Amino acid sequence: MASKTNEPPVSTDAAVPWHADVPESVVDVGYRVRDVLTYSSTYLVFIAMIEVLTVHLVLSLPLNPAPIVVGLVTFAVYAGDRIADAADDEMSSPERSAFVTRHRTLLSVLTAITYGLAVALALTGGPIALAITLLPGGFWILYASDWLPSLGSHFKRLKRVLIVNSTIVASAWAIAVVGLPIAFAEASVTPLAAVVFVYFLVDTFVNTEIPNVRDVEADAAVGVSTLPVAFGIRRTRRILYGLDLALVAFVVIAFSVGILTAAAAAAILVGLGYALVLAWFVGRNAAPGRLAIAGEAKHLVVFALLLVFTTGI
Amino acid sequence: MAVPLLIGSVAIGASAAILAWRARPNPGATPLVWLLIGQSWWSTCIVFSLSAGTAAEAVFWTKAGWIGVMTVPVAWILFSLEYTGRDGYLTRRNVALLAVLPALTVVLAVTEEYHGLLYIREAGVTARGSVLVDQGGIWYTVAAGYTYLLGVLGIVPILGLLSSGATAFRGQSAALILGVTTPWATNVLYNMGAFPNVGIDPTPIAFAISGVAYLGAIDRFRMFGANPAPAWRAKQFLFDHIHEGFIVVDGHDTIVEMNRAAAETLGVDVDRALGSPGSDVLPLSEPFRTDGERELLTVGTGSASRSYDVGVSELTDRRGETLGYVFTLHDVTRYLQQQQRLKVLNRVLRHNIRTETNIIQGYAERTSGETAETITQRTARIVEISEKGRDAIDLFEDTVNDRAGTSLAGLLERSLADARDAFPAVEFEFQRPDEDAVVSEGLSVVVDNLVENAALHNDGEDQRVTVAADVDDDRVRIRIVDNGPGIDDYELDVLNSGTETPLRHASGLGLWLVKWGTEVIDGSVTFEDNDPTGTVVTATVPLRRRGGLPHHNA
Repeated sequence: MASKTNEPPVSTDAAVPWHADVPESVVDVGYRVRDVLTYSSTYLVFIAMIEVLTVHLVLSLPLNPAPIVVGLVTFAVYAGDRIADAADDEMSSPERSAFVTRHRTLLSVLTAITYGLAVALALTGGPIALAITLLPGGFWILYASDWLPSLGSHFKRLKRVLIVNSTIVASAWAIAVVGLPIAFAEASVTPLAAVVFVYFLVDTFVNTEIPNVRDVEADAAVGVSTLPVAFGIRRTRRILYGLDLALVAFVVIAFSVGILTAAAAAAILVGLGYALVLAWFVGRNAAPGRLAIAGEAKHLVVFALLLVFTTGI
Repeated sequence: MAVPLLIGSVAIGASAAILAWRARPNPGATPLVWLLIGQSWWSTCIVFSLSAGTAAEAVFWTKAGWIGVMTVPVAWILFSLEYTGRDGYLTRRNVALLAVLPALTVVLAVTEEYHGLLYIREAGVTARGSVLVDQGGIWYTVAAGYTYLLGVLGIVPILGLLSSGATAFRGQSAALILGVTTPWATNVLYNMGAFPNVGIDPTPIAFAISGVAYLGAIDRFRMFGANPAPAWRAKQFLFDHIHEGFIVVDGHDTIVEMNRAAAETLGVDVDRALGSPGSDVLPLSEPFRTDGERELLTVGTGSASRSYDVGVSELTDRRGETLGYVFTLHDVTRYLQQQQRLKVLNRVLRHNIRTETNIIQGYAERTSGETAETITQRTARIVEISEKGRDAIDLFEDTVNDRAGTSLAGLLERSLADARDAFPAVEFEFQRPDEDAVVSEGLSVVVDNLVENAALHNDGEDQRVTVAADVDDDRVRIRIVDNGPGIDDYELDVLNSGTETPLRHASGLGLWLVKWGTEVIDGSVTFEDNDPTGTVVTATVPLRRRGGLPHHNA
């Protein structure tokens, strides 16, 4: 999961569109569904749930409410972030900003209800599950809301601080995605769980920085310091290569010492190979929004491979 | 059944807390967040206590729940004060004082095994295996009493909004009162032993209802979109900052409130003046009256003196019994200075004009012929205009000093008598009102000018002017009808625009005097065409009282 929305830019291509033969009303409904899924970050809910299910598979945990709780929290936090950033997003994502502004009240109530439901569901998992569920919300308050700066001028929104911003996002989600199914299952934290946590931590960090390439000008304008803002796009691409390659090495080592199973290592390595290819496109692609979505969709690839490798489906 | 309800109350409470968090910095939003967090935490701890595997774990979560228990009443009173605009009371010192007993209660709950002031102990196991926890002790009663006290104190300011004219505020206050009274009532009933078989304190379950009520207040009644906080502050702000002085005395002439303007006017310190006799601070020349009459108060001497128009209004309770009086001090110094300047200017001008015109007329009389006659007529006209200027001054002075008023019938008769003398060729008709009434003396200038105007410009063979008056409940209507050529539309346009320019002006002062005269006595005047020719002028002015004056010399 990443912190930025990844909607494709508006096409100005004058060529005949692929859907020319489809009835206009159907096309319209299709666009509306796409807008709702992307602008409200609902698609991230599915990705997040798939990530939790991946953890279930790798750690061989029984199915529990963790995927639903993470899905609810993901929607609440990301849609809440869209509401808070609607004004700042006017420059980088005018369509998303307009969508969020138009549906601000509905989104606000929906995000509050979904987080409330997530907290209530987490109660059934015990105190640790509750604490982990509250973590992304708490991190979001530190990360993006105006509460921290309101305490004093020396506290600026952590969202504006280089590396800290992406690390907070990655930590919150890695803890939730890995910790919540473990907490619900009342399982112990094993070395395998630690390896999976590191994988999700680094991977989420990379996925957070990919959309920052597209938003480099807007972020610089509002004082948000990201890797592309601080180091430029070319060096950012190299940093992302480095992180992905380090992760590859880490997975190989974890496999070689017997922590990771062959199936899990293979699925993750294929996913990382996919991530390296995507990193090559960073700053070279005309549709950076789609690139970010592709980055998130990598988890679908890993999950599908795991299913094939472990269950033989 | 209790656990699902508690989980539901947490879901609702957490959702409402998030919405309230987003509504910051609206008044009341932050305390409401704490209130909702407190009650959700209380419910959460009960859930964990009921799900605990051991008695020690259940007791631990019950103890932890006391943080939420004691957060709720403090957050509620803070919310109530901030939401209704009384945040002036929310100083750090006051908030700290409010939090002393709750903090002490939490400490006593955590350390209960060492003192027994507040005991928390295992009381058995339910059929489903949940550990039951019993709580009590002297301090439990103290904490409950404190909670109820803050609950009631917090409701008081919000009750006032139930009678608000704004639907949103009524809805918000009703939802808030429902939200706070439901768990409180549940807790009172539980402590009175009304739920002997429940096994747990059902108060957090009632938070499900209060959460829905708060959500309703936030979303349905736009609690943070339409906020009553400024209204209460505005009243105080107006009282403190308005230029008019306000002094409130009780029924025993003791000053109970005074604003800054009044204190500055009277040269007193507000804190010292409070509690003093009103008659000592406000040196009125005669006992005050509450019948709408006003008195002029002069403060200071010489050029530094200032004049204040003093008004008195009676404050009564619902049964009409006198509670006290409000004195208003309106600074009229500039108005009086302006009036004084006008009077001096007018006297000098009138004197000089009359002197000069007398000299001109003297020279004119030494000659003869049409030219001499024209000079005499014109100089007489100049004198007449200067007399109108005097009337304008008298008009305002008479109105200010006119306390007794005058008889309507007498006023009209005097005006008609003067007109008959001045215009013998005109036939005047007077339609007396069915009953006499008392009106402002300022009306005489209006009637005199209207009658004169109707007669002066009536140059036909059959010259008629009719004056009619009728009296209704609170107004007097006087109609002056003539059959002359009518008033030029241009003159009326200038009059209606309310101002003149060197290029756009009326031909004289008469109609201006009519307009100013009716305005200064809170009346109005309308002009209509008469059929077939002429004008119908209707002046409507307030009625002082029905019937004539008992000792009037009209």
